[in-house]
Amino acid sequence: MRDKRHPSLSWALVVGVLALLPFVTPGTYVTGVMCFVALYATLACGMAVLLEQAGLFSLAHPTFFGLGAYVAGMLAANEILPPWAGIIVAAIVVALIAYLIGAPLLRLRGYYLACATFGLLFIVEIVLAQSGSITGGHDGLMGIPPLSVFGFTLGGDLDYYFISWGLCLGCVWFFSNLMKSRVGRAVKALHDSEVAASSVGINVPRCKLHVFVLTAIMASLAGSIFCFYLQFTTPSMFGFPLLTELFTMIVIGGPATLHGPVLGSVVLIWLREAIHVYLKDVLPKLTAEVDAVFFGILIVAILIFMPEGLAGSLDRLAHFVRRHLGRSS
Amino acid sequence: MTLLSETVQYAISGVTAGSIYAVIGICWSVVYLITKVLNFTTGEFVMLGGMLTWAFHRLGFGLLPSVFFAVACTTAISMLLERFVIRPIRFPTEMTYMMITIASASVIKGLVLLQWGSESRRIEPFFGTGVIHILGAGVTSQVLCVVALMSLITLSLHLFLNHTLMGTALRASAINLTGARLIGIDVGKFRLFCFGLAGGLGAVTGIVTAPITFTGYEIGMLTGLKGLVAAIAGGWSMTGTVAAGLTLGLLEGFGAGFVSTGLKDVLALLVMILFLILRTISLPGMRKR
Repeated sequence: MRDKRHPSLSWALVVGVLALLPFVTPGTYVTGVMCFVALYATLACGMAVLLEQAGLFSLAHPTFFGLGAYVAGMLAANEILPPWAGIIVAAIVVALIAYLIGAPLLRLRGYYLACATFGLLFIVEIVLAQSGSITGGHDGLMGIPPLSVFGFTLGGDLDYYFISWGLCLGCVWFFSNLMKSRVGRAVKALHDSEVAASSVGINVPRCKLHVFVLTAIMASLAGSIFCFYLQFTTPSMFGFPLLTELFTMIVIGGPATLHGPVLGSVVLIWLREAIHVYLKDVLPKLTAEVDAVFFGILIVAILIFMPEGLAGSLDRLAHFVRRHLGRSS
Repeated sequence: MTLLSETVQYAISGVTAGSIYAVIGICWSVVYLITKVLNFTTGEFVMLGGMLTWAFHRLGFGLLPSVFFAVACTTAISMLLERFVIRPIRFPTEMTYMMITIASASVIKGLVLLQWGSESRRIEPFFGTGVIHILGAGVTSQVLCVVALMSLITLSLHLFLNHTLMGTALRASAINLTGARLIGIDVGKFRLFCFGLAGGLGAVTGIVTAPITFTGYEIGMLTGLKGLVAAIAGGWSMTGTVAAGLTLGLLEGFGAGFVSTGLKDVLALLVMILFLILRTISLPGMRKR
């Protein structure tokens, strides 16, 4: 979609539209939903980098998101640390966990990494639900204060809108630069051929670990902001349904690009809103698991009929239009 | 209860769970070895077996016909999944296989939730509620039934794979797919057969355990994952999977009895992660995996 010759132009366009959006839409509904879009997009973006660009099947991203939310939320709710410090501590804790898990597991190939991280997803969900005295158990963690920085308390949807889109765009920018850096080129090389990469002197396990920990930190930051925005978390928010949603975003957007998952997140969250608004009379209860039915069908359909995803198809359309116009003029 | 009878009781529940994990593990490995698809819907077939039996039974069918219909339906769903969802993928890679089976699992789970609600469902024990006492520990007839049936399934699968032409052909395609195709084995048919077999076996395990542990829409994923633990720890071979499944079951039985019931599911998954980490440590002279 974006013209590769003018990346700064398309960035300016996207930032401009996003900055104006809350002021041209009535009420706070759109702003509130777009907050979720940004946070999920951050998460999906990191996961897409791992899955497609680095070729690592990590399914633990909902877990890092959840741990980021729980650690920051628990520190703030028990008044151990101010919220902004809680976010930093959560990111450090998650980075440590990702490092400890990633260092041995990233040596495994393909499916085994997926199995181990899938196991981790369930372990964390069960432990969070079982240790009720600290985390609030199944009912969730209550009493999380709103985010406050140096005396300013961020209350409204608008504040969180700018924070979460700042995080999201920062994350996309960071990853697009990372992918052009030495580490990024090394990661792409090892996705193509690990043997060739290691034979030209790339420290394969270390590069994988760098990318894995960085994406985990991004997920944790998104999770922390998510918990301060909602002021409430439950273990089931970060389980299997979230994984299905993330897959849907990545598959809709097309995993090969960085803006793909962001597009996917926009489509998915608004689709979910539409389902909740229009089908609430038809279906008896709309839990995350019922949403997952629609998303699951969507994943299957896209993987069979449109494997490059929305971003891939839009890129192809743009290419076609440009060539067509170029000829006629 | 004395310590001895308690230990025996935990061991019995461990063996029961272990025999189930072994059979589910075989479901994973049958599909994985032939098609290279890690089929995350395996657990949902277990759940479907139990739920469909309950649903047919509630509609007024007898227990035996409901069991038969449930197994037939699950087998059919599994085969349809292979033919119309997994086979048409345009760029089959490990990642797309994983995504599409996880997506299918959540579709099945969500539809069951929509249709039959989130309550736990129970099927009556097949042979009454008699209890036998061994060393002070009680064994229900259903537990005996589960262990006997699981042993029977494993034994007959073993005989099928090693002593029939089709079983030999299946093993050949697991070892070398291209070679199998070259000597005229119809691999496409085998893919369908493997998915059907996994679906049917999964349904049977789901049905026989439903009177003991109850069934509900959410049990699939965790039960399936424990089978996967057995399959991975057993190195995808049948003997290995059975041994690993029983070990896992016993570990879980004693863990639940002596440590904590709530965290017993965590135990199995921790075992898997530890096992996978141990695999990465290669000592000099070890075969590279």
